[in-house]
Amino acid sequence: MSKPKKMNLNQKQNLSGWFFLAPAAIMIALMSFLPMLKALILSFKTGIGTNMTWTGITNYVRMFQDAVFMQSLKNTFLYLIIQVPIMLILALILASMLNDKHLRCKGLFRTMIFLPCATSLVSYAIIFRSLFAVDGFVNTILIKLGLLNTGYNFLAHPNSARIIIIIALVWRWTGYNMVFYLSGLQNIEYSVYEAAKIDGASPFKIFTKITVPLLKPTILLTAIMSTNGTLQLFDESVNLTAGGPANSTITMSHYIYNMSFKYVPNFGYAAAMSYLILILVAVLAFVQMKVGDKRD
Amino acid sequence: MKRKILAVLLATAVTASLAGCGSSATTGDTASTEAAATETAEAGTEAAAATGGDNSLTVWCWDPAFNMYAMEQAAEVYKQENPDFNLNVVETPWADIQTKLTTAATSGDLSTLPDIMLMQDNAFQKNVISYPDAFTDITGSGVDFTKFAEAKTAYSVVDGKNYGVPFDNGAVIACYRTDILEQAGYTIDDFTDITWSDYLEKGKDVLAKTGKPLLSCQAGESDVIMMMLQSAGASLFDAEGNPTLVDNAALKEVMATYQSLVEAGVLVEVNDWDQYVGTLNSETVAGTINGCWIMASIQTAADQSGKWAITDMPKLDNVDGATNYSNNGGSSWAVTSNCKNTDLAYDFLSKTFAGSTALYETILPSSGALATYLPAAESDVYSQPSEFFGGDTVFAKITEFAGKTPSNNTGVYYYEARDAVAVAITNIISGADIDTEIQTAQDTVNFAMGK
Repeated sequence: MSKPKKMNLNQKQNLSGWFFLAPAAIMIALMSFLPMLKALILSFKTGIGTNMTWTGITNYVRMFQDAVFMQSLKNTFLYLIIQVPIMLILALILASMLNDKHLRCKGLFRTMIFLPCATSLVSYAIIFRSLFAVDGFVNTILIKLGLLNTGYNFLAHPNSARIIIIIALVWRWTGYNMVFYLSGLQNIEYSVYEAAKIDGASPFKIFTKITVPLLKPTILLTAIMSTNGTLQLFDESVNLTAGGPANSTITMSHYIYNMSFKYVPNFGYAAAMSYLILILVAVLAFVQMKVGDKRD
Repeated sequence: MKRKILAVLLATAVTASLAGCGSSATTGDTASTEAAATETAEAGTEAAAATGGDNSLTVWCWDPAFNMYAMEQAAEVYKQENPDFNLNVVETPWADIQTKLTTAATSGDLSTLPDIMLMQDNAFQKNVISYPDAFTDITGSGVDFTKFAEAKTAYSVVDGKNYGVPFDNGAVIACYRTDILEQAGYTIDDFTDITWSDYLEKGKDVLAKTGKPLLSCQAGESDVIMMMLQSAGASLFDAEGNPTLVDNAALKEVMATYQSLVEAGVLVEVNDWDQYVGTLNSETVAGTINGCWIMASIQTAADQSGKWAITDMPKLDNVDGATNYSNNGGSSWAVTSNCKNTDLAYDFLSKTFAGSTALYETILPSSGALATYLPAAESDVYSQPSEFFGGDTVFAKITEFAGKTPSNNTGVYYYEARDAVAVAITNIISGADIDTEIQTAQDTVNFAMGK
């Protein structure tokens, strides 16, 4: 028996690197990738509860004939198209305002805007629900101001219910995105701004010509994260509006939950719908990277 | 070499600490669950701590004032014969029971389930058919099912086998605030044995004179619709489980009635359960119609004692077989397949919920848990007057209603159909055509059933 070849330094370092990676990698594989693979297999089966049989791609065909799922897809994209741009622009404006060196109580303002993020998803949804109830705070104010005679049931009308979900989402997530922009702004030299000011650029010009272009990588990151988060939206739909009225605010994840836990359970179909979300997120992220990440 | 050993040691340490985290978290959870269980377990906890082992059962149910209380009293009854018996009642909301059951059954690890769980009658068939491995057939367990109303037992029978011991009844009652009716010049008799068109007329009058609607309910839920439908003996499914929404004269009438109630402002829709109970307790409405278990929620407003009265619900105007009686809700006890000591569970259930009139006499006055156990209905407790409801003999009344309630077919796809109907009625209220919406609802149910 010959002595095993001695490893050179490079190989040794590689090996110990893998050694440190292994525990986390194994755990991620077991906890995250294995269930994903199992869900993929599941999505090709159908049946009630635990009695599953192979069915091929019928689940994927079925979802496009499912009126409720199509409604949930539309709702989710409506949130995405309206809410994400509003939120990101608002976050950008707030971030550049709070980045001003001469602003006082900066920490206080930053904390106040970030604070909604620290509240639990369920509790903030319930608070919004009671705020907009028929005898809730908002209606009381509107009646006191003489704008309304009797309380308006915001959550009982499709459009107002959707608007409230969007307001709630903006309130909850703007601060979160602002923090990313603030940290991105720290990397922009302040002298650039001073130079622009000396050259007589207006605050709006500074914002569009300096802040936005230099923040592009961060904007891309937040756009992808927000898209991902919106497509998986669940808590607001369940707790704020319960998907109503008449499924006009139900999201895809909410419908998947109903399919698994409320209705006669069809986990194969639910898994297939989850995979559609994954595909949508992947495609949208890819498009955003192509559009947004032009490094020159 | 030294460095390599160090790396191995470090990696092991990291893995160990991670694993350690996991297991300590689990123990923490178990400990807190146990703590919660002991807290909620009934009075004799000092004995309970000592025993455990073979002579104990764990039960999941959800209402401290109602079914948990009933379970604890059942343990007291059983302890008179078996002093060593120990019962852990774990407070688990219905939605959580459903989720935990689904998780346990689909993962194949049934060991997380309790010995006995309370199950909504509407979900019983669905769960037994979906997860046959999770339940125990109790047909030959010694429980005498002939002592229960047949329509009630039918909820927990699958393929001719019994899977549940019937518990509470959801006979529908109409509750009115007599003081508010009086302001409008009415008495409770004006609302007894009436039709929905009478109800609408009088409701408009009450609204005009007092500013209070007669009825509130949750938007997006179809409880009121289902109650109206069952009162005429109609269902969303036929006996074979096929949806029967289209060409269902009763359903069409129900939809039209509901729409006119909302239009007139006699029925006000709120967004969630808390707001619904709020409308009752804060005098926003002058009455409600619901399963008799709603009495527990009404009675939480102690200052309104004596101001409420109970009668039967209105009946549909133009439908054959329409009655003033219906049902909403109700639940049954199921024995899971995780129950190791099935003999104990069978014996416990057959000597308490299926064999002890004394138990029902204890739980009825304070919790309003109306028995479906027939021998209990002959008990004297049922004829005692209730001070809160104006000194009326409410339980005798409700038992009478329950006996006259027509049965209905829930089918396996009951929740799908309920949601489809809720969508339809929401659209109808905002002006859509009734026939089109009912057709759409039927299509939705058919689609869910894979037809």
